[in-house]
Amino acid sequence: MKNLINFFIQYSVIFLFLFLEIISFTLIVKNQGYQKSVFLSSSNSVVSGMYEWSNSVVEFFKLRAANDNLSEENTALKNQIINLQNKLSTLKPETTDSVHFRIPPDMEYQFISAKVINCSTNKIQNYITLNKGAIDGIKTDMGVISDEGVVGIIKTVSNRFSVVIPVLNPKIEISCKFKRSNYTGGLLWSGEDYRYANLTDIARHVELALGDTIITSSFTNSFPEGIPVGTIEDFKIKESDAYYKIKVKLAVNFRTLSHVKVINYLNFKEQKDLEVKSEE
Amino acid sequence: MPTVLQNIFRFVLLVLFQVLVLNNIQFLGYINPYLYIFFILALPVQLPRWFLLILAFTLGLTIDAFSNTMGMHAFATVFVAFFREGIIKLFTNIEEGNNPTPSFHTFGVSAYVKYVVLMVIIHHTILFILEAFSFYNFWIMLAKILLSSMVTILLILGIQSIKTK
Repeated sequence: MKNLINFFIQYSVIFLFLFLEIISFTLIVKNQGYQKSVFLSSSNSVVSGMYEWSNSVVEFFKLRAANDNLSEENTALKNQIINLQNKLSTLKPETTDSVHFRIPPDMEYQFISAKVINCSTNKIQNYITLNKGAIDGIKTDMGVISDEGVVGIIKTVSNRFSVVIPVLNPKIEISCKFKRSNYTGGLLWSGEDYRYANLTDIARHVELALGDTIITSSFTNSFPEGIPVGTIEDFKIKESDAYYKIKVKLAVNFRTLSHVKVINYLNFKEQKDLEVKSEE
Repeated sequence: MPTVLQNIFRFVLLVLFQVLVLNNIQFLGYINPYLYIFFILALPVQLPRWFLLILAFTLGLTIDAFSNTMGMHAFATVFVAFFREGIIKLFTNIEEGNNPTPSFHTFGVSAYVKYVVLMVIIHHTILFILEAFSFYNFWIMLAKILLSSMVTILLILGIQSIKTK
């Protein structure tokens, strides 16, 4: 017995070392999946509070560019309103049918605006933290876009903050298509450069040209169809390959990202339920 | 007592500097120095090993919380802290009863440089391997390890040489 105790005392440091390493390793492995580890991630309130503070300083220097973007968007929206008002005045509704209320297809999406308070672009797995959370109606799996294009998908949500998996993370693959020809493929980040990603699954008979626009397809529940993703920067195909290797220049500049919109797809639950039910 | 205060101050300062400044640095897409490891390097030599491990774990977990990397920094930091004593013994011969803080002055220039280089490279290698855990791209990883280690080493040696005494 005495020997046993001596043994433990003698090697206590090694046991402590192993114990701490096992804890760390468990944390790493657990976090590989879609875990809701809000505690100890940057949607934790202490951590995100500090990021919010640091962001308020940095944001000042980006104000000018953000203002330009906003005013451009404003004018575009105003033009749209005028167009729509004109159309509306020519179409008089006949009856309002409250019994058969449903969300019409073109109003399926609502936008929640949010601010980026932390964003990494140089890791192999990057994440973005937003300053809105469950209180503002954000749920997991919602899509995130900026004025320029697709940003990513919400991963975890706390009350006041949420974490996004951006395109710059090999954990997500976003379904995209060519604006010109409607061929769909998956967009996957290569882990090298925050400006480029790869488009996979495009067969060799598809006709491509440099500069072709790539937009989201309607196959994901997180994004409406037609959000810009990027343009073709370069493509290659070997004699023996069946699929193209396409390099896509992303529409969004993740280094200057400051304001984003979270997409709330109102029919998400209904669609998902139906899909799950039909698979059973 | 001043050593304790000095170290607490250094801990806070390095964590803040790491998460607010260095984590945003992206030179050539490969260089992301992890200077916070300097905290472990600069602790007194005779600090009890169990306490060193606990400190390393706390430091790593704090950095993890800020960079969404759950456990990676904790793992690498505890690992490097565990082998610190061995590495110090390898390069220097400190007499019993002495308790110096590692620096050019106490270790000698060559021994201190070797100590810093080895510690930083071990730490960065483990960290970047863990980061690439679910994704392989070996040459990029190697480039990141070497370039980032180099910058971290230069920063640490720079800070150390500015310090007087």
